[in-house]
Amino acid sequence: VKFVTSLLAAAMTMTIAPAVMAKAVVGQPAPAFSLTDSNGKARTLEEFKGKTVVLEWTNAGCPFVKKHYTGNMQAQQKSATADGVVWLSINSGAAGKEGHVDGAGANAVIKSSGAAQSAYLLDASGEVGKQYGAKTTPHMYVIDAAGTLRYMGAIDSIQSADPADIPKATQYVSQALAELKSGKSVSVSTSQPYGCSVKYGS
Amino acid sequence: MRFYFLIFRVLGTTVRFSAKSCRVAVAAALLICGGISVLYAEPITREHLTVELVAQHTALVPGTRAWVGVRLDHEAHWHTYWTNPGDSGLPTKLAWRLPDGFIADAIAWPAPARMIVGDLHNFGFDGEMLLPVSVQVPSTVRPGERVRLEVDVNWLVCKEECIPGRATLLLDLPVIDQAAADHEASDTRWQTLFAHALATEPVVADWQAVAAARGNEIEIRIDGTDLPDTDHLDAFVVQPQLLGNASLRIARRTDAILIQAQRSEYFVRAPQQFDLVLVAHSGDTVNAWTTKVTWREDAVPSASNDANAVADSAQAANTTATGSIGSGSLGAALLLAFFGGVLLNLMPCVFPVLSLKALNIADSAHAPAVARREGLAYLAGCVVGFVALASVLLALRGAGQSLGWGFQLQSPLVVAALAYLMIGLGLSLSGVYVFGARLGGVGQSLTEGHGLRSAFFTGLLACVVASPCTAPFMGPALGFALTQPVFGALAVFVALGIGLALPIVILGWIPALGRRLPKPGAWMERLKQVLAWPMYLTAVWLLWVLMRQVGADPTALVLVGIVAFIAALVWYGRWQPYDAQWPQRLAIALLFLISLAPMLPLASPYANSAAHADAAEQTLWQPWSVTRLAEARASGQSVFVNMTAAWCITCLANERVALSSNDFIAKLGTDNVLYLKGDWTTQDSEISAYLAEFGRSGVPLYLVYPRNGGAPEVLPQILTPGLVIAALSRATTGSITPVDSRSSP
Repeated sequence: VKFVTSLLAAAMTMTIAPAVMAKAVVGQPAPAFSLTDSNGKARTLEEFKGKTVVLEWTNAGCPFVKKHYTGNMQAQQKSATADGVVWLSINSGAAGKEGHVDGAGANAVIKSSGAAQSAYLLDASGEVGKQYGAKTTPHMYVIDAAGTLRYMGAIDSIQSADPADIPKATQYVSQALAELKSGKSVSVSTSQPYGCSVKYGS
Repeated sequence: MRFYFLIFRVLGTTVRFSAKSCRVAVAAALLICGGISVLYAEPITREHLTVELVAQHTALVPGTRAWVGVRLDHEAHWHTYWTNPGDSGLPTKLAWRLPDGFIADAIAWPAPARMIVGDLHNFGFDGEMLLPVSVQVPSTVRPGERVRLEVDVNWLVCKEECIPGRATLLLDLPVIDQAAADHEASDTRWQTLFAHALATEPVVADWQAVAAARGNEIEIRIDGTDLPDTDHLDAFVVQPQLLGNASLRIARRTDAILIQAQRSEYFVRAPQQFDLVLVAHSGDTVNAWTTKVTWREDAVPSASNDANAVADSAQAANTTATGSIGSGSLGAALLLAFFGGVLLNLMPCVFPVLSLKALNIADSAHAPAVARREGLAYLAGCVVGFVALASVLLALRGAGQSLGWGFQLQSPLVVAALAYLMIGLGLSLSGVYVFGARLGGVGQSLTEGHGLRSAFFTGLLACVVASPCTAPFMGPALGFALTQPVFGALAVFVALGIGLALPIVILGWIPALGRRLPKPGAWMERLKQVLAWPMYLTAVWLLWVLMRQVGADPTALVLVGIVAFIAALVWYGRWQPYDAQWPQRLAIALLFLISLAPMLPLASPYANSAAHADAAEQTLWQPWSVTRLAEARASGQSVFVNMTAAWCITCLANERVALSSNDFIAKLGTDNVLYLKGDWTTQDSEISAYLAEFGRSGVPLYLVYPRNGGAPEVLPQILTPGLVIAALSRATTGSITPVDSRSSP
């Protein structure tokens, strides 16, 4: 009897043991991270507490990213940052893979595309990308001022690589930001991301 | 008619002709009339992909359907996507421009392949392949006319990097009448391509499939006949945002396939219905099926199917208890567990304990209220015991361990402890001592005397001693239990506990029955002494199991410990009638401690090592392993698999009766059957996983794999020599469950 009891107790402890790695789940706190930006500065999610944060997984070599950098992405970045939103572009491409950049390379990409993000973060190890479950470029996340994940998924509603589709599509990130700003709940909080695969190392 | 190679760019300013002949002008004229940016009547090679519009036949017939298709020829290592592209990518899209009356169906998607890069899973195609489309030719077109089919193709071609592409393809076909069509050969260039594409298009299967969410998982159950073998079977869902794209867990049940998958991270709401595609690869052959899956919010998908499996096995095992249970779901398993519990009362290790309890309860028949309360306390003990064991098992499984019922006997420590317990109970029955107060702190007297506590602990004890003796048909019921959500599983174990407790509870609640039992008296002492012997024999069996688990040396130490234990009990029994002094008490306590010492090394994880079979038997069978089984099957040899454990009585009985007979041994030789034996005496996750494939969580499990591949036949849990030999014959002649063969639509 004692043996059974102790086994049972041991088993209970094992099941109650907390999950080690937090995943990105809408409605839950967004996983914390710390990454170096394109200027060599360490940036954390924590430092932007109190502000709405947009995460954008990017890879300048990807045709889907190119589609949205024909103007749509830059416009969204400008309007969001003008509104006090922090916009973080994250590159999880491993060294040697398409779209991988170092700090200088990232700054060149920003300059040539006229991008207006708050910071361009380098995640060549893919650690943060995998933690968030980022699968495609672009893959978007919106985190509210309290640090809760409010949106994850595609940038918009039409899955294509054709810039001509952009005006016809619902821009999910802009919509989520507008809804958060007016204190409403996010009407589309999850969508299927589309694009190129994130070029993780092995 | 053939057009010659032509590239025409309207957006740019260049017009390049690489034509060798004069028909370019015709094409150019068509192009300009159509006002289309790019037209290709011949294969066009874009970056990493060549596309072309082709037809199965060289002409169209009014009022019929014609197969046309877009041929995609991928550069090595590049791929395009299926209708659900998976974690990234885009499906290839077609937009048709057809003459009046023509109707093009959607793409008849061939079976996709799974492409894995790191953690990302994509579904698509590589090599040379075809996206077939069925086109309705109206009856209004006249033979002699020419018809032009045009399609805008939009694709994404990826290796690791991706390149979107688009082209407008054109195909010009003559119209002929039916009579001429009879002589019209198919276009030989594309014959193989169409045949292959249409053969790998999933056939609509006549199956029933349901899905339900279970936490973060989605479970799909497919019921039906001619279900494919789960070897090399993959599953894909047409609709995105439903299932995670990583590989699914697919298990075969008797009449069903169970699929478990993570819910998609982008899951928003459940559809009423979705489409599932199953793809089986065997060598170069690809077979595919599609079935509608109905979403059931409330469903426990595995329930009815597993209950059927349970009922099947129960019937196959020729048990008399239940007969046909029909299609009841959890209820059937509960019923089986309940009867299993009742049967446990007759097991050699349980019966002595219970018979005495029964007599005690009968003794209190003059005080019905007391008897009833004791019956209930006993019931509580049984149920608590089983639920506690089940909770431990479920918790350990939840923590990721591959365990099944009987797991408790995989621990040498538990086996040794049970041996001590059996010896202790036996000595008590033999009258060496009175199992009494202040001993071990377990409770007051366990097998004798009255009191709710005593009754409760008797119930608990019954559960503990019964657990090794898994009744023949409890295996499937418990296997079912373990596939259930926690409450369903616990319910099955509760039913088992109630079954076990039933006889005693009935005795307590129906005093008339109690009065029919003989009055306690001197004969009871004699009966007890007789009943002690089964306990000793049970102990011998447990020690034998222990020896298989840990080898001879630790077992010898345990035997020494048991001798000390017996000495302690004898000593204790001698002094029991008197008021023992503290030095004597101290001595007894010390002796107990010494007797338990040999158990210490058993608690270490390194104890489970030395279980090896004798060399003589080794020639008859080989140790089972996934690779050995796969090798043998690949070579076309028929295989008999025996999953056993030293503590499994049913297994041992079968081996003695059916698997040691000369006929069986001769049959193995004449039919060249490989006999593989898996030993689950100690925990082995590979075997646990294999058992789970067949819906079992425990041994025995007997399988016969037919010669030259195919699904295995699952034999009943109770074997007869004739039954095994008949099964081996079927394996040799190849009459086991024919694998579904299908023709192209």
